[in-house]
Amino acid sequence: MRKLATLITSAALLASVGIAKEIKVGAVMPMSGPLAAYGQVTYEGVEFANTLQPTLKNGDTIKLVLVDNKGDKVETATSTTRLISSDKVVAILGALTSTNTAQTIAIADKKKIPVIAAVATNDKLTTKRTFANRVCFTDSFQGEVVANYALKDLGLKTAVVIVDQAQVYSLGLAKAFTKAFKKGGGKIVKKIKVTSGDKDFKAVVSQIKSVNPDFMFLPLYHPEASMIARQAKQVGLNKPMFSGDGVANQTFIDLGGESVEGYMFTDFFDYSAPPTQRSKDFIAGYFKKTGKKEMNSFTALGADTYNVLIAAMNRCANPEDSVCINKQIKSTKGYEGVSGILNIDKAGNATRSAVIKVITNGKAVYKTTVNP
Amino acid sequence: MDFTVFMQQMVNGFSLGSMYALIAIGYTMVYGVLRLINFAHGDIMMVGAFLGYFGVSILGLPFPAAVLLAVVGSAALGMLTDKIAYRPLRSAPKISLLITAIGISFFLENAFNVFFGGTPRAFPVPEYMEIILSLGGLTFSVASLMVPIVTLILLAIILWILFKTKYGMAIRALAFDVNTVNLMGIDANRIIMIVFGIGSALAAVGGIFWAVNYPSVEPMMGVLIGLKAFAAAVVGGIGSVAGAVIGGFIIGFTEVVVVAFLPEYGGYKDAFAFVLLILVLLFKPTGILGLNFDKSRF
Amino acid sequence: MNLIIKKEQWINLAIVASTLWFMWFAQTHFDEYTVRILNNIAIFTILAVSYNLINGVTGQFSLEPNGFVAIGAYVAALLLLDGDAKEYQYDIEDPYPWVLLLHANFVWALFFAGTFSAILALILSFPVFRVRGDYLAIVTLGFGFIIRIIAINNPEVTNGSLGLNDIPEYSNLYWTGGIATLAVIGILNIIYSKYGRAMKAIRDDEDAAIAMGVNTFKVKTLAFCTSAFLEGVGGGLLAALLTSISPDLFTFFFTFQLLIIIVLGGLGSTTGAIIGTILVIGGSEWMRFLDEPMNFGFMETPAMPGMRMVVFSVILIFVMLFAREGIMGKRELKDLFKKRGES
Repeated sequence: MRKLATLITSAALLASVGIAKEIKVGAVMPMSGPLAAYGQVTYEGVEFANTLQPTLKNGDTIKLVLVDNKGDKVETATSTTRLISSDKVVAILGALTSTNTAQTIAIADKKKIPVIAAVATNDKLTTKRTFANRVCFTDSFQGEVVANYALKDLGLKTAVVIVDQAQVYSLGLAKAFTKAFKKGGGKIVKKIKVTSGDKDFKAVVSQIKSVNPDFMFLPLYHPEASMIARQAKQVGLNKPMFSGDGVANQTFIDLGGESVEGYMFTDFFDYSAPPTQRSKDFIAGYFKKTGKKEMNSFTALGADTYNVLIAAMNRCANPEDSVCINKQIKSTKGYEGVSGILNIDKAGNATRSAVIKVITNGKAVYKTTVNP
Repeated sequence: MDFTVFMQQMVNGFSLGSMYALIAIGYTMVYGVLRLINFAHGDIMMVGAFLGYFGVSILGLPFPAAVLLAVVGSAALGMLTDKIAYRPLRSAPKISLLITAIGISFFLENAFNVFFGGTPRAFPVPEYMEIILSLGGLTFSVASLMVPIVTLILLAIILWILFKTKYGMAIRALAFDVNTVNLMGIDANRIIMIVFGIGSALAAVGGIFWAVNYPSVEPMMGVLIGLKAFAAAVVGGIGSVAGAVIGGFIIGFTEVVVVAFLPEYGGYKDAFAFVLLILVLLFKPTGILGLNFDKSRF
Repeated sequence: MNLIIKKEQWINLAIVASTLWFMWFAQTHFDEYTVRILNNIAIFTILAVSYNLINGVTGQFSLEPNGFVAIGAYVAALLLLDGDAKEYQYDIEDPYPWVLLLHANFVWALFFAGTFSAILALILSFPVFRVRGDYLAIVTLGFGFIIRIIAINNPEVTNGSLGLNDIPEYSNLYWTGGIATLAVIGILNIIYSKYGRAMKAIRDDEDAAIAMGVNTFKVKTLAFCTSAFLEGVGGGLLAALLTSISPDLFTFFFTFQLLIIIVLGGLGSTTGAIIGTILVIGGSEWMRFLDEPMNFGFMETPAMPGMRMVVFSVILIFVMLFAREGIMGKRELKDLFKKRGES
């Protein structure tokens, strides 16, 4: 009996001194398939944030478990279930797009495992869910930023909106912009529907030319946006063009060539204007490690999903208590992340700044930061 | 909708239709001699566009040389797929041939995806192709003007080969009856290979035109274009080269006209080719040129 | 003679009983990850055996599964979600009033999912089977694309590219496994019926079949509609397993996976389709290593995302060229135990 008691006390003692445990954190990302390019840059951020900060303040180490969902829904469901039931992760980072992230959240929410999304901006993602969080802004916010900037700073009053019917991102952003632009006194003179994969926009640009708006809002991804910009120039349509973060990459500039000069878009972050000290350190380390000269904003957001999670875990008495982690993520206040200063509200949505960039001489140049 | 706008859309449709036509010719010829829907044909067009891209931006070739590289490379690839994948299956059930064709198609798409990445690449278009011409309110680029002209020239050459040369006669004979052709001492396999070569070369031209007009190349670009081109071949009358060109123009015009004049149906643009295909199968399975299915071809 | 049939029936019964017992055991004892993979296998078994009926047994090359699975999934999802749940999630356009009124329990939802697919298959049969089977492949391939285009462009019904979410999670191994068992029994009964013999006759020699008085149009249509029905049901089960569906789920890759399954298992063999499903769906988790960096000892390859797809297509071409019979050929399980000469 006494032996047992000693054993128990010594075990308790050991536990309190803390034998560094290994805690697993899951990541669901498309590392292959059509979305692979985006999944890879995002995970790069998660991974590098993990090498910078591999342990919690109590000494426990964090082990990342990455599962590739190939950008597919069935695979996302399988991956998420695997992470929760077989790897026993305390939280999940991912899964890039809004539709796949919704799938991950649907499963994780039932198991009370918090999810932090890096770049899923759809408004409805976090509603009615307890364990859904994100570090990016929502479509509504981004739409408002563009609407206000166009109305107040540029004095543009009429707009044509081109929406990609096949992309959740495009639909959400177009809707948010339309609402904010009308509210601010602007007028949408035409809304045109296109579908991802379209290449021929000659009919579209001819229509825009005939209604002659002050500017065009194109909440699209880079392949379609660049084709529209090119074909617009061909018919002599030289109105300002504005997009969301869907065109925030070098490929867009390569595809658009000279026709995207002066093109404006919103982004989460710009590596040439690091907003915090953590950001400066991260970028310097990242350049050193990879030998690259540029950093995608998805990398910064990926890093922040990890950073916010670690900060939340550090605030919990038991860093393996998923419910506590979730609560702490939702009380993130003024966190100085890689991508900027983050606040996460009770609903799990981040309040954060956006930056506006303009393409000048074949480079995306930082123009201004918009705070919420 | 005034006359200029209408004419402008006609010009656009003509250019788009020509590209479908160039690819449809390959489908129709292969179907003619083998009764095979060559699913990989659209992907051979993609390879052609990629070869053009590599030629200009990596090897630094002048544009015409890159086109030549694409044409020769695609023709070789077309003949190679025939030799490796289709020839061993000549006597197998047709379903094996079709499954192999799908396999080749998927292989090309994914191999390019793995080795060259899935994100679109900007195609280096020579500047003289992008010059914008204006004519009485109509605007079009040199490239979009060149497409229909080159298509018609190539059509003339193909028809000349088919009807004025010995090889053409062999191809037409093969479409009639494979066994008799073999009995006549003609190497049917060689003729089939030539057909694959011609079809793939035209697909490469179509692919380059596509890449010049919409300056990007990506591994999946051939899928939808290939499907529409096949529909074009059926609409025009499968087995007929002239029919394939007519079918290509019909589908090109339909797409442009619907987007321009009925923008609310613009989202269904990609579905028209199939609706036309089904209508043709229902009411006139032999297509527009009305060739009897089991008799004459080309 | 009588004795043999009886023995066979006992064996069949034993197989069914042990399958059902395994489903129960797995559902109650295995962890959720394993159960989810088993669910996937059960649903893909339904799809593979029905896809095999048109491709392998009847010999008509078709590329339809993604289209009919999509139809089934959407019909089931619209029926399973109640009015409030739908009203809440339609974000692009307001739903049509009749969309909100649709509601049914799981059994009816699956039944309508299948029926709706079968009716569409019937409509497609007319243009396609009039001109031999040549165009079936391209029409069904196009059909898959059109279904996606319709789903994207009719947000009043389908909620567009946002898809339908929060579908009640009815699917479990009892449902998926039970229906898979029923599907296999049903398909085998068709194959051994007079229709099944007519289907095989069409596959082996269509002209001879016509000469023997087989109504090829009717038989092909029957095979196609049966496939479509089961694929619709499979789609419904999938929707109730995933709890959310969207147009991007039903791409051509879905069909390609099934094609690999039936080719690998042996075109024309239902047993082969089941083996193929277990190998491909179960094995796809294992195939993950192909995308990762590899060390061959003498050289290291970098990570090549998507390599798996390349391997899949190479396997498909390879099987067609060198091992056209696949694993099972056209044989079924019981053929393996038969003595030579018996048929």
